[in-house]
Amino acid sequence: MTSTELVKESAADRAVRFERDALVFTNQLYAAALRYTKNPHDAKDLVQDTYLKAFASFHQFEPGTNLKAWLYRVLTTTFINTYRKDQRRPQISGGEIEDWQLADAASHTSNLGKSAEVEALENLPDSDIKRALLDIPEEFRIAVYLADVEGFSYKEIADIVGVPAGTVMSRLHRGRKQLRERLTEYAKDLGYSVKPSKSSKEETP
Amino acid sequence: MSAYELGACNQILNSFILLIEGNIDAPAAQSIESHLSACPNCNAEFAHERTMHTLLQDVLRRTCNETAPVDLHDSIYQQIHAQLTGAFTTEVISEFSMTEISIEIDEFGNIEHREVTIEHTEEIRFLDDSSDSDKS
Repeated sequence: MTSTELVKESAADRAVRFERDALVFTNQLYAAALRYTKNPHDAKDLVQDTYLKAFASFHQFEPGTNLKAWLYRVLTTTFINTYRKDQRRPQISGGEIEDWQLADAASHTSNLGKSAEVEALENLPDSDIKRALLDIPEEFRIAVYLADVEGFSYKEIADIVGVPAGTVMSRLHRGRKQLRERLTEYAKDLGYSVKPSKSSKEETP
Repeated sequence: MSAYELGACNQILNSFILLIEGNIDAPAAQSIESHLSACPNCNAEFAHERTMHTLLQDVLRRTCNETAPVDLHDSIYQQIHAQLTGAFTTEVISEFSMTEISIEIDEFGNIEHREVTIEHTEEIRFLDDSSDSDKS
């Protein structure tokens, strides 16, 4: 569709196009909103607000570009501006360490630790996975969700969240690390003997 | 294991994710791969990281797979249509009120006083191209 045709597009045609192309993401956006808001009631409101805003500015969306990413940008911006406005929680963004590769010393883990970690992740119930995800800080949670559930690239996440790609990488790295640490703790509670993969040095025999 | 080798391993370990996700240029990827082929520890670690990366994604995708409640689908649909109807409606409301007062004095000195008040109100709603908007 050329831009000239777009100008001529009637409101009715635009609504039809919106319903056809955008509403198919309702379930996905709702699942994301559950992670953002942490409760079904706010998640519903957030998705509804997102669609109303998206429809109101749908004429600005450039056909052929990534509609899903555009909707996620509306969702994330709406969440940050509306649902988080009252929370006077300190933001991580300010003092974020960009050179996480230097800040985080890695180490080898034992083979036993590796297989136990895999086994634990394979056997943890869904409720524990959800709990762990809700438990990590919001900026990390959003980055991990967008990357690992939705499969967005660093660049796309940077656009959606409105931060530089380096910050996205840092949040992703730290978010995944914390997520795995929490899952390891839950697995331990369930009786799996798992050593944290990254936080402890390999022991020499 | 020498301090130099340990340092090299630590650097490599932190770059695994870039290689796993393909966010790395060819020379850097090659240098990691050549280290992996020479270092069994790192090679095992890389294999583990790749497994965990995939597994974590699989587990998250399986878990975060809720379906939106039916009433959410409905209310989104309805709100869009409410906006749409608003966009189509051309409302013309014109109110018009006039009072004509005429006083005539004839040659005999009689005064004739007339007051005519005309009030006119119309409300027109033009619905343009709305046949598509109310399919249910």
